[in-house]
This record gives sequence, structure tokens and C-alpha cells, in this order.
Amino acid sequence: MFRKLLKDLHWPLIVAVMSLAVIGILFIYSASFRDSGQYEIKQVLWAVIGLVTMLAIPYVGYRPLLSVGYLFYGFSVILLILVFFVGSKHFGAQRWLNVGPLLLQPSEFAKLGTLLALVNYLGSRNPLQGQTKTVLGALVLLAVPWLLVVKQPDLGTALLFIPMVLVMFFLWGIRWRFLITAFAGVLVMAPLAWEMLKDYQKKRILVFLNPNLDPLGSGYTAIQSKIAVGSGGLMGKGYLAGTQTQLHFVPEHHTDFIFCVIGEELGFIGTLLVLCLYAYLFQAIFLIMERTTDIKAKLLAGGVLALLASHVLINVGMTIGLMPITGLPLPLISYGGSSFIMNCIALGLVLSVYKERSIF
Amino acid sequence: MRISRFYLLQAVVFLALLFLALSLFHVQVLKGHYYRDLSIRNHIRLIPIEASRGRVFDRSGRLLATNRVSYDVVAFPEDVTPEVYPTLAKLLDMKEKEVRYRMSAGREYPFAPALIKPDIPKSLAILIEERKPELPGVAIRIGGVRHYPYGETASHVIGYIQAINGEEYERLDRDRFGIHSMIGRMGIEKYFDDTLRGWRGGEQIEVDARGRMVGVLSRRPAEPGSDLHLTLDLDFQQKIMELIKDQRASVAVIDLETEGLLAMASSPAYDPNIFVSPSASARRLSVLTDVQSPMIDRSIGAAYPPGSIFKLVTALAALEVGKITPQTRFFCNGRFKLGKSGRVARCWFEEGHGSINLYQAIERSCNVYFYNVATKLTPEEIAKYAHELGLGEPMRLEISKLAPGLIPDSAWKRARFKQPWYQGETINMAIGQGYVLVTPLEILRLTSIIAKNGKFVDPHLVQNNEYEESSRDRVAIREENLDVIKKAMLQVVESDYGTGQLARVDFGKLAAKTGTAQTPPLKAHGWMTGFFPYKDPKIAFVVFVEHGGSGGIAGARIVKQLIELWKGSYVPKIA
Repeated sequence: MFRKLLKDLHWPLIVAVMSLAVIGILFIYSASFRDSGQYEIKQVLWAVIGLVTMLAIPYVGYRPLLSVGYLFYGFSVILLILVFFVGSKHFGAQRWLNVGPLLLQPSEFAKLGTLLALVNYLGSRNPLQGQTKTVLGALVLLAVPWLLVVKQPDLGTALLFIPMVLVMFFLWGIRWRFLITAFAGVLVMAPLAWEMLKDYQKKRILVFLNPNLDPLGSGYTAIQSKIAVGSGGLMGKGYLAGTQTQLHFVPEHHTDFIFCVIGEELGFIGTLLVLCLYAYLFQAIFLIMERTTDIKAKLLAGGVLALLASHVLINVGMTIGLMPITGLPLPLISYGGSSFIMNCIALGLVLSVYKERSIF
Repeated sequence: MRISRFYLLQAVVFLALLFLALSLFHVQVLKGHYYRDLSIRNHIRLIPIEASRGRVFDRSGRLLATNRVSYDVVAFPEDVTPEVYPTLAKLLDMKEKEVRYRMSAGREYPFAPALIKPDIPKSLAILIEERKPELPGVAIRIGGVRHYPYGETASHVIGYIQAINGEEYERLDRDRFGIHSMIGRMGIEKYFDDTLRGWRGGEQIEVDARGRMVGVLSRRPAEPGSDLHLTLDLDFQQKIMELIKDQRASVAVIDLETEGLLAMASSPAYDPNIFVSPSASARRLSVLTDVQSPMIDRSIGAAYPPGSIFKLVTALAALEVGKITPQTRFFCNGRFKLGKSGRVARCWFEEGHGSINLYQAIERSCNVYFYNVATKLTPEEIAKYAHELGLGEPMRLEISKLAPGLIPDSAWKRARFKQPWYQGETINMAIGQGYVLVTPLEILRLTSIIAKNGKFVDPHLVQNNEYEESSRDRVAIREENLDVIKKAMLQVVESDYGTGQLARVDFGKLAAKTGTAQTPPLKAHGWMTGFFPYKDPKIAFVVFVEHGGSGGIAGARIVKQLIELWKGSYVPKIA
């Protein structure tokens, strides 16, 4: 019985997640052992909670969870609305809810809620019949939480909805001409959207295009984080021996810029290892997707994959100046409870897809 | 179709990862040496570029606040060798320990320069530049220091700036405030800090092993702050300061056409320059602890009993509610008794003014007349018209929106003392004694409203400033009643019985009102306010002499010279 339970788990995926979590804890320690936060201990706790959750989900199964998908979606929208009234403000954006000692970030829930709702909605409709209507419906479903997140404003999270939704539409079988129209639409709307951005958001984008605009502000971070990663060279400076990141040249080095610490201390070997682990994780998800015949399961796994992959690409890209600096964590590695647990829930759903592959 | 889409997605994801891996290879392996070099030798230096602060001008473009060049000694501790400390300490006449302390004290960014000593003499700066080969890592940075060329002249209006503290630094925008930034603490410098302050810039430079710059990696120039033009007339202000020096007094003069203040002087004053220069701490301390309180702007920063000036308000209230006409007469025998058993209140003129009407009562400032008027009024009625005339109401003045003045009524007294209002207090209130408190600028606004026949006036200091609209345009007081008051104010100066006749000038008719506010056991406060000329007024003024004695003497003496000064600088232009 127990053996059967273990056999139903997709071990490569679990190994990848655990390896990334261990790397995360090691480098959270390296990034912060001179400070007094004891972040690595907290992260161990988050990791344990996250992994247990992830392993528990397959025994519930994704179908029951999907059946409450709309409910979860509605709940996360209510939380987003609540943020406007009782949310606490940090750095000029209203993103957090105080729940006892915890700071909840409803936009994290909203990502998962939207994912589940879209899986239900698209999965139960045939792409070959009345596609226009279905796509419009899905866009409305997306627009409600998305606009609320944009309004907060949490542009980083809002942007991450886009690859997730695109991948789901794409796998579902949206017509090419819809994608092309959407792309053209974005090009046309871009100037309008620019006007709606807050000053600090405009500044970030301008500085990304030309770091010289703000050598002391985020341009400084961009240059310093690139120096940190680059100075690691092939072999790195050795664990705990980074100078750039240890000396606080790079801010937020245990959260958003943790990849800098890895790059500096382990060099190209280390960054390549991390990328390979992610590739291994993604390949595991692809394999699971390939084996399922349930369109909903495929959409679900595809959405999770898109979320994880876009986080990785943007976060790593930003440390070497390929992407603008946004406050996005590196999945499963960066310090932070809500992001780690949300990722584990998402991956738990994927594991459950694997477990139930044999139903048909 | 579905299958091929799946593989397409897979391909996109892995190609993107491959692209990241190749980029990392480029940054870490191919350019790794370059970045390692930058990181090991820490060859990047960050230099914030401070924005120069906007200047402040008077109405004709004379500088009231500007910036002069300063030479600051800065150092990059990374480039400093141990021999530098004793040499530098000796050059700067500092203890070596202090140099070391400054070297390690708070720096804004890693590899930003540390400030060792600000504002050194130019000759010393040249000497340090010459000896630079012995002083690796040390540099002279040219900066700006706030300078107030006229010192005390308009110090209360302009205010001063001071270095920000740690808590402010944490809270404020880094694009605008650096660790050594100054911030306005008083006056225009405080309330227009945002306008005067520019946006900081900065540059990242690359230096060689000896700390010499070899190239600029990136640069953003600073944006200087905007200049401000005040309505003040520097000459006039200076001469008025001269008039009241050695007294505790304030004088404010308003141009009735533009409603801009031509002068706003308070004495004793302080030299704002002492707050800028760190070396002046002894003088700063003496100013801050001076019993004469030079830091207080006596025209807005403190409230005083208005004394007989307030009779203008009482008279207007009684006229408006119809309790008296200008011809209503009361008999003054020098004494007044409220009811049968009341205490005797005296007129300042003990022989009594006899039977007089309202004009004569204002002209001679008869207390008994206004005691009689007060018996017909409630404190609420007087308070209502006081507020209507702007007393106890917020100001629009740029450097003080507060109204520290106080207009009492029975509700206020109940709340404050938990006691009912006694009629005797109405008597006191009617002549501006008791609980009534006003600032000289409130009185100036009152006089200006009278002079402009009821148009609501809000004095201001900055030209072309965009104001929020006044809540009202006119006061709810009939023009005929304001006319009565104007005529009476004319008699105050022009009649041979008038209390303000010492202020009479021979080139035009002046209308005014004196006030002498009793402050036992000290000498009374002397007040005088008015407008000039009587027909088609150009200016209104208020003069206040703290414990200066009679308004008709201490006040009138200043008023006469003030009007002569004004004529000297403005009348030819008008004619």
C-alpha cells in the first residue's frame, strides 16, 4: 500500500524541487549570515511546510481541487478587493493583507485562482466550436483579477499573468490569428499603457533601456549585480566568499537577487547547475503533460510551467541586465514563504496529474 | 496540430534557457576577468551630484538667498593609504582620530566619497590639490553653500536651512535628499523646500589603482531647484529693520493692489547664515537661548492682546447688528460701573471724554464709550464679526497658515475653563483686553479689509504663486459702516484730539488706529495700524512694539517714519 503510494509520485520532479530548495537555503545563508535575520532557518520551515503540502496534494487529487477552482478564483478576487480597503501600504503600493502575524499577498493567490478558473473554463469548452465566444469569456475571467492587480499597483505580478494565460490558450488550441491580433493589439496599446504607468514604473523601464539614466538608483543595482555575477567567472569565488554581494553592493540579495550570490560564489558552473535543475524540472512537467490525456490536466500543468519558467527567465535575466529590475523571486530558491508555498501547491497539482494519468 | 503546439512550447522554453546559459557564459566566462577586476579592486566609485538650491529674490530681483561656492574635502577610504591620515589631519587642523572617524562614518553608497571637512578656505583647497600625490584618495569637491547676503534683514521671512537628520534621511526620497543634504527649517526655505530643491544626479566612475579617474561609466546631471521671487522690497525692509532695531517689535506693510507684503520685519532677528555653517555653533546657541527670542517672528509667530485696535471690531459689530449708529452718544466721566455692584472700570483719560459719538470715541479711543456699547452686545456677536474680519481665521500666507490668535466666546470659555461667560468679560473684550489674542498680521489683514471697503484680503509673500482661491471674496459687512470706521480712523491721525496724531505726515492724509494693550505688571504693548493715503489707499501697515508702551507714542513714531520711507521709494513712481 505504502509502496503503491510512493510509486505514484513522480520522483524526478520531487528531486528537482528538493535540490533547488536546498540550494536556496544554502545561499540564503550565504547571503545573510552576516545579518541577524536568520532567514535560512525560517526558509527551512517554509520548505518543510511547502514540500509536505506538495506531497499531500496528489492524495487529494487535482480534480476535487479543480472543482472548487471557480470558488477559489472568487475568493482570491474578494481578497484583492479587500486589499483596497484594509490592505497595508508599503513602498507606495497596496499589496498586502495583515492576517495576524502574517502578511498575505493576495496577488499570489490570484495567480493560482486565475489558473484554476481558466483551466475549468477552457478545459470544458471545445476550441473548434464558438471559439471567439470562449476566448472573450476567458478574457473577462482574466481581466477582473488582472486589473485589480494592476491597480495596486503590482506590475511585476500583472505581467506574469500574460505568459501563463498565453501558454494555456496556446495549448488549448486558440487560432493563430487570435494570437497575431493580440500581438498587434499590444503594439497599438503600448503608448496608451505607458501613459497609465506610475512615474516610478516609467523610470524603471527607462533605466532598464539605459542604465546611465540613474547611476545611483536602479541603474546602480543593474551594474552592480552584473559585476557580481560576472566576477564569479568559471569557478566562482567559493561558498561564503563572495565580495560583491557580501558587502551589500547588491540589495535584496537573499530574495530577488539571490542568483547574484550563486553566480558570484559558484561561478558559471553553479549558475549552469541551477539552470540545469530548472530544465530538469521543466522537462519533468513536460513529460507529465505528454502522458496525460485530460485536456484540463494538460492546461493545468502548462500554466504552472509557464509561471515557473517566466519567473526563472525574468529573475535570472534581470541579474545580468537582460530584463528590467522587478521585484520577482527566483522560484524555490529565493527567501520567502508565500512564494515558496504557492509554487509547491502548483507543483503538487502537477504531481497529482501524474498520479491520475492512468484513469483513462 | 495539438501535438506540434506542445513541442513548439517545449522548444521555446528550452531555447530560452539555453539563451540564458549562453548569456551567463558570456558574462561569467568570456567577460569574467573584466568583472572580476572591477569587483576585486572595486574600481567603481559613486559620486552623487548635489542639485543647487533655487535662489530667492526680492520684488526687484535682488538676491535674498543664494549659494556661494564651497570647497569640501572628501575621501574615498578604499584608496586612502595609512600615511594620509596624519598629513591630512595636519593640513585640516583636525585630530587624526576625527579624520579616521569621518572616513568610516555614514556613507551614502558603498564607494561613495566620505565627507571629511566641508567648506574649507580656497587657499587650503589649492594647497591640498597641489599635494595630491601625497594624498591618494583625497579630493576637493566643489559644492554650494547657502548664503543669505543680507543676514538679519528678512531672516524670519526667508528662514534658514539645516542638515537633515538620520530619521529624515531614511524617510525622504533619495533622488532629492542625500546623507548630507540640507532642508528648509523655517520660513520660505521650509515651505518652498520642494520648489527650491532640485533633483540630485550622480555618476559612476572607474578609477585606477591610485584612485584617479580613468573613465565615466554613467552619469546623470543634477537638476537645479527653481528660483523664487518674493513681493518684499529689500530696501524698504532694510530701512524698516533699521527703525525697529534694538526693540522687540514687528512691522508689516502690504501693497493693497497686489496684496503682496512689501515688508515684514521682526526684531530682534537672527542671521540665518549661522545655521548653515557648522563652525558657527556658538553663535547658534546664543541665538537659540537669547531671552529676547530672536527666533520668533513677532508678526506671525506669537499672539498678543490687541488693545484698543479691537475697538474697530466692536464698533463694526454694533453698527452691523444695529445697536448703535455713528451718532449714538455716550457720556464718559472717566469711570464706568457695570450694574450697581460692579467693579469700577476706568477710561484711560481719567478726566473723562464727556458726551461723544462713535467718531470721537474712536478718534480718542474712549474706553467708557465702548464699555457702554459692549453692554448692548453678546460675546458671540463680537466674535462673529471678529471672525468675519479674519481674526482667529487661518491665513493664506505662505510661511504660516496657522492662526495662533484667539477670539473667545462663551462656548470657548465653557470648554476651556468650565465656567460661564460673565458680562464683565464682554466689557473687557470690547476694548481688546481679556482673552482676545491676535497676531500683528491678522491685524494687518483686518485693516486691509477696511481699507479695501470690505474686500477680503489675504497677504502673501511669493510673486506669481498659484493660490487656492480664498473661501470668500467680500466680508459680510455693509460698506457704509466700513466708511464710518475709515472716517473715524482718519480722525485718529488728523484730529487734534486724535490718539495717533504723532504719526501725521504733511504730504497726505493718513488713517490709522492706535492700541495700547495692558499687560501688567510689564509695560503695555504698543500697536498702530492704518492705511495710506486715506483716499484711494495704496498700502496698509501694522506696527507692534512688544512692551513698548503707548501705541500713540511708540507706535506712531515708527508709523510716521514708515510712511515717509514709503513715500521716498514709491510716490514718484505713482505720480
